[in-house]
Amino acid sequence: MRIKTISRSVDEFTRERSQDLQRVFHNFDPSLRPMEKAVEYQRALTAAKLEKIFARPFVGAMDGHRDGISCMAKNPNYLKGIFSASMDGDIRLWDIATRRTVCQFPGHLGAVRGLTVSTDGNVLVSCGTDCNVRLWSVPRPSLEDSDLSSEKSTEPSAVYTCKNALLAVDHQFEGDLFATAGAQLDIWNHNRSQPVQSFTSGSHSVISVRFNPGEPDILATSSGDNHISIYDIRMSSAARKILMRTKTNSIAWNPMEPMNFTAANEDGNCYSFDGRKNEEAKCVHKDHVSAVMDIDFSPTGREFVTGSYDRSVRIFPYNGGHSREIYHTKRMQRVFCVKYSSDATYVISGSDDTNLRLWKAKASEQLGVILPREQKKHEYNEAVKNRYKHLPEIKRIVRHRHLPKPIYKAKAESRAMNDAKRRKDDRRKAHSAPGTVVTESHRTRRIIKEVE
Amino acid sequence: MGGLKRKSSSSAKALAKSKKKKGPHLPNSILKVIANQKRPLNSDEEDDDDVIGSDDEHGGDLYEYEEGVPEEESRKNNRYDRHDNYDYELPEDFEDENVESEDDDDGGNSDNDEAEGDDDDDDDRHTRMLQSLTGMPSAAFEGESKSKPVLFTEAYPEGEFNPTRDVLEGKNVLTEEDFLAPLEGTPGYQKTSKQIARMRKDTKHVVHAPLPKPQRERLERKAVIGLVDEEFSKWVHLVKKNREAPTVYFNQDVDLGYSTVGAIASEFQPRTEFEKKMASVLNDSEVSMEDHIKDHNHIAKMRSLLFRHEFKSKRIKKIKSKTYHRLKNKDLKNSSLGALMDPEMAKEEAMRQEAKRVEERMTLKHRNTGKWAKRMISRGLNVKYDGPKAAIAEQLQMNANLSRKMNSMRDGSSSDESDDEEEFNDGSDEDTPSRLIAKAKEKTLKALEDDEVPNAGLMSLPFMARAMKKKNEEANEEAKRALEEYEEWENSGGENSKKTVNVSGRRVFGATAKVEAPKESRKDSDNFYDDSDSDNDMAGIEDNNIEPVRDNASPARNTITEAEKFDDDVAGNPASKTTFDVAMFASGSWKKMTGSKNTESKKAPKKTRAPIPQAQDKKGPRDEESGDSESEAEQMVDGVLTSASKETFEVPSQAELINRAFAGDDVLDEFEKDKEEVLNQEVPKPEKPVLVPGWGDWTNIQKKRGISKQMVQKHEAEKKEWEQGLKTRKDARLKHVIISEKVDKKAEKLHTTTLPFPFTSKEVFEHSMRMPIGPEFNPSTIVGELNRPEVVKKTGVIIKPVKFEEVNPNDEVDDEHPRNHQKQRPKKKTSRRQGKVKSK
Repeated sequence: MRIKTISRSVDEFTRERSQDLQRVFHNFDPSLRPMEKAVEYQRALTAAKLEKIFARPFVGAMDGHRDGISCMAKNPNYLKGIFSASMDGDIRLWDIATRRTVCQFPGHLGAVRGLTVSTDGNVLVSCGTDCNVRLWSVPRPSLEDSDLSSEKSTEPSAVYTCKNALLAVDHQFEGDLFATAGAQLDIWNHNRSQPVQSFTSGSHSVISVRFNPGEPDILATSSGDNHISIYDIRMSSAARKILMRTKTNSIAWNPMEPMNFTAANEDGNCYSFDGRKNEEAKCVHKDHVSAVMDIDFSPTGREFVTGSYDRSVRIFPYNGGHSREIYHTKRMQRVFCVKYSSDATYVISGSDDTNLRLWKAKASEQLGVILPREQKKHEYNEAVKNRYKHLPEIKRIVRHRHLPKPIYKAKAESRAMNDAKRRKDDRRKAHSAPGTVVTESHRTRRIIKEVE
Repeated sequence: MGGLKRKSSSSAKALAKSKKKKGPHLPNSILKVIANQKRPLNSDEEDDDDVIGSDDEHGGDLYEYEEGVPEEESRKNNRYDRHDNYDYELPEDFEDENVESEDDDDGGNSDNDEAEGDDDDDDDRHTRMLQSLTGMPSAAFEGESKSKPVLFTEAYPEGEFNPTRDVLEGKNVLTEEDFLAPLEGTPGYQKTSKQIARMRKDTKHVVHAPLPKPQRERLERKAVIGLVDEEFSKWVHLVKKNREAPTVYFNQDVDLGYSTVGAIASEFQPRTEFEKKMASVLNDSEVSMEDHIKDHNHIAKMRSLLFRHEFKSKRIKKIKSKTYHRLKNKDLKNSSLGALMDPEMAKEEAMRQEAKRVEERMTLKHRNTGKWAKRMISRGLNVKYDGPKAAIAEQLQMNANLSRKMNSMRDGSSSDESDDEEEFNDGSDEDTPSRLIAKAKEKTLKALEDDEVPNAGLMSLPFMARAMKKKNEEANEEAKRALEEYEEWENSGGENSKKTVNVSGRRVFGATAKVEAPKESRKDSDNFYDDSDSDNDMAGIEDNNIEPVRDNASPARNTITEAEKFDDDVAGNPASKTTFDVAMFASGSWKKMTGSKNTESKKAPKKTRAPIPQAQDKKGPRDEESGDSESEAEQMVDGVLTSASKETFEVPSQAELINRAFAGDDVLDEFEKDKEEVLNQEVPKPEKPVLVPGWGDWTNIQKKRGISKQMVQKHEAEKKEWEQGLKTRKDARLKHVIISEKVDKKAEKLHTTTLPFPFTSKEVFEHSMRMPIGPEFNPSTIVGELNRPEVVKKTGVIIKPVKFEEVNPNDEVDDEHPRNHQKQRPKKKTSRRQGKVKSK
């Protein structure tokens, strides 16, 4: 009997460990598997359904404040630490892992409106309606303070007083300057009791201020008179000013694209701008049905999270017109502040119901250690789903979200209104001389002008 | 409202306030100008203020305050009017929510009181009264003070920075001459006046009045914008690179510590005694890689041998047949097997065998050359008695066994045969036809004799047996005929036989002429397959008897020379009774030849050699038998039998050929039917309403109404729709085309109706969807690449914002990345690029 042997090298086929997989050889001739498209479609469908099944975004709530949360700050140097401040002047440092208060910072008499941490994570700056700017030294995180009883409280390292109430504060990236917003925009140094520089802009106060993480000397502010301004703190005046129809509540710079920022507007939309061309927004992110109160970019620069007065938190892609995710719970009230965690895995929201809430940035993501095979499987599912996302069935499943009734109704209503308006515009256009009626694009509709 | 105001003392503030309300505030503006020159940094703050102020006042002119109090206000200086005025003025001061203005007002209240303290008593008293009545601060009644006749009280003494009203209005303006006049006659006067004259001429160093604030601001902003834009623009490359990358990686260089047991083990350092000892042992006993591989290979080989042996023994063990085992055991005992097992013994055995063979061949001991055998044969006893016959046969057999080649493990007959053949083939040239025929006869007889049916196995089955019997009978018939033939030839002489012997190749012999076939073909085949297996010998005759034609189909061996010889023979010997049928195999060559012959025949009609295939086909064997071939000069060229007929062959035209070929089918009609069917299926024709008896009426007494109007109408509508549907089809006007508009519902879900967003062309999209990405369809080396998400990050590691780095725009998108050695994803790349184009 003659046996035809296939020659195989032993080195290639010997497993290192008994747990290792046996090598399997496939014939990848496409004619052998003629149904691959149907097979992958089915897999995509299954993946979409599984994603829905595993979507459990809410991780936990952090309870402790006695008034609505007004602002938050993440420690740029320490992943687990997050600071929050409430309307009654209470400032707390939370440990996200245990979801407990680590430290308290008492001192403010009125509502705390602004909170920020220096890039090295050592100095916490807070400001509020009591016209004070307080600087705190952040306690070093240590292993032994994990027990409940050791809730510390610290004294401020410095208190600077202003003439006016302060509405926002932000710290420069990799520097020792911070900016406060109130009646005017003040730039402070850690070590000086007077602002090193001040910018005034009109009669209205500045609502929010945010430093550019890529370009540390550039910051953006929004003011009560519907302006968005970009300043260079080395210069004496504003660089750009955009006048919009509605007020901008908050601004966030894209950490990966220093020229781009997104503004959370009172009209429920977010507007992404290129800092160099402000006459039109690069993208309008619609979905909220009420004012967007706060916005924060993911450190990857690919998406951002918004908190709205409509009691929901949404996550938008940086270049997409609609949100990819909405988070809400029955008990969550108006959301005043949101933050994306520094590793782009979690989202934290602070709302009027005195709670901080911790969410997963990807609702169905599997947390914890994932084995390589598992990881591969997840990646494949994601890729397949992404590939067939435009097919009707998969699109339907992926896009489907259960909304709270008020939001659902408000959305339906606004849709009806928009439709009616569009119909009217269309008719007007149809019945007037060509060229006389021009429909303005969404990207410029809410922008009045760029102030020269 | 300005920043300066806040910084200056309270008195200055009061001054500013009063100025704002009542009089000119040029001094203030001049102050500001000076301040601007001194501290350019702060000047813009003020500018901002002033812009706002000017926006409100729609002028932005510094000298605007000179315009007097409105007449109507001054005239209405009585109680009621004042109330009106108060109502009107109130919001101006109080509506300002700005924190800043509050601040100012706090100071303003007392200041106003102070400033207005010098006003006439009436007014003061009146104000105080109002204040006490309403409980409001006196600032509320400021409006009234505006309407008062103006009396200027300056906080500062009059001077160069605080000029009088007259100066501002342009009256009594002091000039240089005024100052110079008293100096006239003094020693330095000439010099000073000259200097002043020179200064007047010099236009360069004149300080102009500053631009209006909005303009100045705009200019400043423009400058700043340029700088900021530049700052932003330097990031463009980096951002572009990031966006175009199919995958962005974050924190790939961050070391998270050990992740595998192997990694930990690789870092292990022996510390304790025991560990050190172990390590030393392990290190000492290290073998070289080659040795290791060799060892490994050897072990593997042994293992595989062992495995095979085990497998074999298992299989053998499974065999239940006792006979088999008995035989096997016997074999094992047998030395030959033992010899086979041992190469030395095998060699010896072979040597012995060889010697025996040589001896046999030399002595011819067993070829009946002995005395006894000769005697037996000479006296014919071997035929007469069975005993000697058998003995002689046995001797012959022995001879065969001994003299055969050692290595061929087959039966002796095969080698005998081949020897015979060789002999025969050698002899065939010189030719001994009589001997050949004799041999053939012998063989045939033998075949006739031993047609016993096997009584075991498949052949023993009844139907097989029957078939065999039948075949045997046929074969016997054939053989008998052949025998007759042989006898005839023997009688007739060698001429004929010679011819038949030589003819071979592509001939199929007619029913009468089949005699030659078995012998000839067998020889040929044996010759061709040189030393073919011995079975052929045993079955050979039988086979050939059964189907004498078979072997003739073997590839042509006869040469042209042979054929020509034959040709000549036939031509020269018309009396011969043999007829031939031309086998028309190898149709390709046949046709080719036909074609060439055709052309040839056209060219040279005198040599009429055009073949007539159809005619020959139709002729059939009977015609040939009848002996037409004799009259027609049959010619064979290259194995092709041609008959030179009188009639010339006309080549039909192409159209005619086609017509003839498709004579039976009406294609057009069929197509029309097909199309109708398809149409009916896709756009079904509406059914005509029919009157069903018993439906729609109560009894048969009632008058029949026919089909209801409604139904008719509905039918009409349906019909119209149907017609419309037919008209709108793509193939409505194309008579010879069916374009199916059927939709496959199951395949439908795999298709989109619209092109998805980032794609701009259908082709690109389809291309991107063509290749599957799963691990079943792709080698594992690229599966990871195909499935990689857009963002790869590590959970629990802080992602820092982008840092500026110089990017060479000519570089590949992610050249410097650790994971980039693999190819980029083509699909992603295209889609991204398109997306980018779109966004631009």
